[in-house]
Amino acid sequence: MSEISRPILKKREQRYSYGLTLLRERIEEKRSFINPDAKAKNDRILLKAKGISLAFGKLQALDHVDVEVREGEILAIIGPNGAGKTCLLNVISGFYRAQKGEVYLEDKNITHLPSHKIAELGLCRTFQNIALYSGLSVIDNIIAGRHPHIRYNFIAGMVYFPWANREEAYQRAIAEDIIDFLELEQVRGSVVGTLAYGLRKRVELGRALALEPRILLLDEPMAGMNFDEKEDMVRFIIDINEFLRIPIVLIEHDMGVVMDIADRIIVLDFGNKIAEGPPEEIKENPKVISAYLGAE
Amino acid sequence: MEELIKSIVLGICSGGIYALLAVSYVVIYKSTRVFPFSQAAVLIIGAYLMWYSLIVWHLPIWLGFLITCMGGAILGGIVERAFMRPLVGQPILAPIVVTLCLMLLLRGIGIIIGKGDIQGFGESFLPMGAWQIGFFHLPKIQVYGMALCSLLIAGLMFFYEKTNIGLGMRVVHEDHVVAQNLGINVKRIFQYSWAISCMVAVVAGMLLGNIQGVGLALDANGLIAIAAVLFGGLESFMGAIIAGLAIGILQMLTITYIAPLLPGETTMMIPFVFLLLILFIKPYGLFGLVRIERL
Amino acid sequence: MSININRPCGTFDRNYFQAKALYRTPLRKALLILLIIGMYLIAFFIGDYGISILTLICAFTIGMLGLQIITGYCGQISIGHAAFMGVGMYTVGILQKHFGLSFWACLPLAGFIPMFIGMVFGIPALRMKGLYLAFATLAAHFVIVYVISNWRSVTNGTDGMWMKRPGPLWGIDFQSDRNYYLLVLTITILMVYLATNLVRTKLGRSFVAVRDNDIAAKVMGINIAHTKIMAFGIGCFFAGIAGALGGAYYEYVNIEWFGLDDSIWYLGFLVVGGFGSIFGAIAGATVWKIMDEFSTLITPLAETFLGGAAFYASAAFSLIFYSLIIIIFLVFEPRGIAHRWEIIKRSYRLHPFPY
Repeated sequence: MSEISRPILKKREQRYSYGLTLLRERIEEKRSFINPDAKAKNDRILLKAKGISLAFGKLQALDHVDVEVREGEILAIIGPNGAGKTCLLNVISGFYRAQKGEVYLEDKNITHLPSHKIAELGLCRTFQNIALYSGLSVIDNIIAGRHPHIRYNFIAGMVYFPWANREEAYQRAIAEDIIDFLELEQVRGSVVGTLAYGLRKRVELGRALALEPRILLLDEPMAGMNFDEKEDMVRFIIDINEFLRIPIVLIEHDMGVVMDIADRIIVLDFGNKIAEGPPEEIKENPKVISAYLGAE
Repeated sequence: MEELIKSIVLGICSGGIYALLAVSYVVIYKSTRVFPFSQAAVLIIGAYLMWYSLIVWHLPIWLGFLITCMGGAILGGIVERAFMRPLVGQPILAPIVVTLCLMLLLRGIGIIIGKGDIQGFGESFLPMGAWQIGFFHLPKIQVYGMALCSLLIAGLMFFYEKTNIGLGMRVVHEDHVVAQNLGINVKRIFQYSWAISCMVAVVAGMLLGNIQGVGLALDANGLIAIAAVLFGGLESFMGAIIAGLAIGILQMLTITYIAPLLPGETTMMIPFVFLLLILFIKPYGLFGLVRIERL
Repeated sequence: MSININRPCGTFDRNYFQAKALYRTPLRKALLILLIIGMYLIAFFIGDYGISILTLICAFTIGMLGLQIITGYCGQISIGHAAFMGVGMYTVGILQKHFGLSFWACLPLAGFIPMFIGMVFGIPALRMKGLYLAFATLAAHFVIVYVISNWRSVTNGTDGMWMKRPGPLWGIDFQSDRNYYLLVLTITILMVYLATNLVRTKLGRSFVAVRDNDIAAKVMGINIAHTKIMAFGIGCFFAGIAGALGGAYYEYVNIEWFGLDDSIWYLGFLVVGGFGSIFGAIAGATVWKIMDEFSTLITPLAETFLGGAAFYASAAFSLIFYSLIIIIFLVFEPRGIAHRWEIIKRSYRLHPFPY
């Protein structure tokens, strides 16, 4: 027993010493530039969405929803199916355009920016239905996630100038770091179309991490997983939050997980925000209970 | 002014055939989500079949018409079974390449059966001559052709709305997998769609052959009809009919106003310029559905 | 399809430069160099007929690489590729005739002018995907052919134009077929090198991202519009170079050479070669040109079989023959020769074991 568990334990000990170092350096570099004395879990508001409204025809998907994400926290968004959770995430990441309301990332209005610009600024997300580049291998998917941070232009890439070569090796080093952190070593070279569901979710998380996020938006990262895979995923999320100090917005249906790891919870129902607060309050909130169990 | 009215009336008459062709594209696209470029070459086959029946085999017109229609339906069924069915579920590229290759394959067959010459029907199988109405005369071929096209389109609409197979086609249009789960034989519906569409296309082919002469150049009309399909919005019969008429009018206006200014085959080029304009301005066409992308 | 399997057993990567190397072992490097040297030397051992086939294969390989970038990697279907090749041919022809430029000055322009035109026709691609782009390029094909065949004062219309082969450079004269083949081969190797590096670096990865999942690519920081336009531009650049080299080989350009069917063969033989791999593009062009020769050889047979004039019999034969081959490939081996080659290589490497 001890022989089996030892490498795993060792890995856990070592993670903080070598895993994700390159990525962490880069993120810290950016953070110090923007916010030199950021402490974990202070109350500074990083992302602010005000009065978001969105309707598809007559269907009001979101109705004046306000969201604030603070530095270093894990914010969970829950709600019954069709409550507009994914919609809210889509609006924040610029995939849908809100009809009313504005989104600010650190005082910068990003409501009308194209979504690739928003991703470059550091709003990275994963998807409910896995949206990987199915023709690329795992490592290429993660390097493809580094796209905005690769500096050489395409002509340098075509001719393969030495600086392009060095840059490629550097990006590969960061990608290998992420692979190491997410324990994807065995499948590194496999085409993602052939992987199992849980692994693919993990690759997606890796790709989002590769973008050097300021805020990580996770859309149902644990949907359809078994208990072990869920446990792994929760561990990764907590590690990312603690080690890289990235605030995480999480949509999840598994109440156990949400109540355990979230610092704050927002409850949506039919496009309205019906409650907001720490897990203990949400558990007791009568509106939430009626939304989940049906109102009398 | 006289010229304008004349070109519009003539345009509507010749646009009937484009509408028919556009409908034949839409039938397949709606149910199978494959765009059948090969319909352009089915025109050639249809024209030659009619020519063989009337000129070589000396059959009566109604029998020739029947044989051509049956031939078209059988051709469509065979094409679906042999070439399209193995590709069900493949990415969008494969069916496009196959239909394009089918276009050339049918064209090759057309060359063999037609010996590479342009043939005429001698005397048209539709009444010749023209009516003199006011200041312009209306060729009877065009009018009868238009009437036949409208009849066919009306029949097709009736089939689509009222029969069981038509209902199946409408369901398949919504979602292939759901339709399969509801117990509809999706493959059979695909086959019917191809058969019906090819039947419509051969009729258009024989009408065009009657006007332009039976030859390989007929497939240009099929390609022009693509502009109509796109203008109408790919999935809408109403759009296809309106856009077909519009393309006919556009072509006649081109002959009247633009052809004197530019050299060469302007009637061939202008519809494609129009197609590009549609793609730039309103890519989903008049009645096309804009699908909301989901994440 | 794992990377590790592509390496012979016992090869370990000690740094990230090794991990991303295309040719990792000395044996593979040596084989590649031998192949290139062999391609040069073969020109001295085969006759004019063989050289003509090889020259055409090289020229069409470049064009096929362009289509591979547009369609195979970026997923944008182009049915007008032969027309862009024609633009390249005519650019050289026009510049030589009206401005008296040498071939060397024309060659880059023969790339850049189709590149610019391709980008313009690629603009609908910004809003659309898949089928709609096929329409746009189909329309582009007809518009280009119309302009070329009717702008008589510049392009000489349907009569075609004369072209000159490149003048001597560093004392080498390119008028003879053999020397010209060596020039085309050199440019082809250069283009293959550029394309290979393109698809494994930043832009190439974003091409594949747009092809596989454009919505995700958009949200993951890839500028889709820029990527698609770049794919069109680079692909058409390749097509233009291919056209210039092919046209200069015949020393004559004609509108007949890039009909709609040529564009379709381009797409079809790309399928035969294999989507999404540089090797597939080379294989596709090779199969196509060998097939061309085969069909001219077999035409007398078709003539006796079908009877009548050779003109239509050969046309019909090649149409039916090619399209059947492409369709059969799509039905039975949709991933083309490149995929089959990978399987053969892998089974050779793992020989005694099945996998």
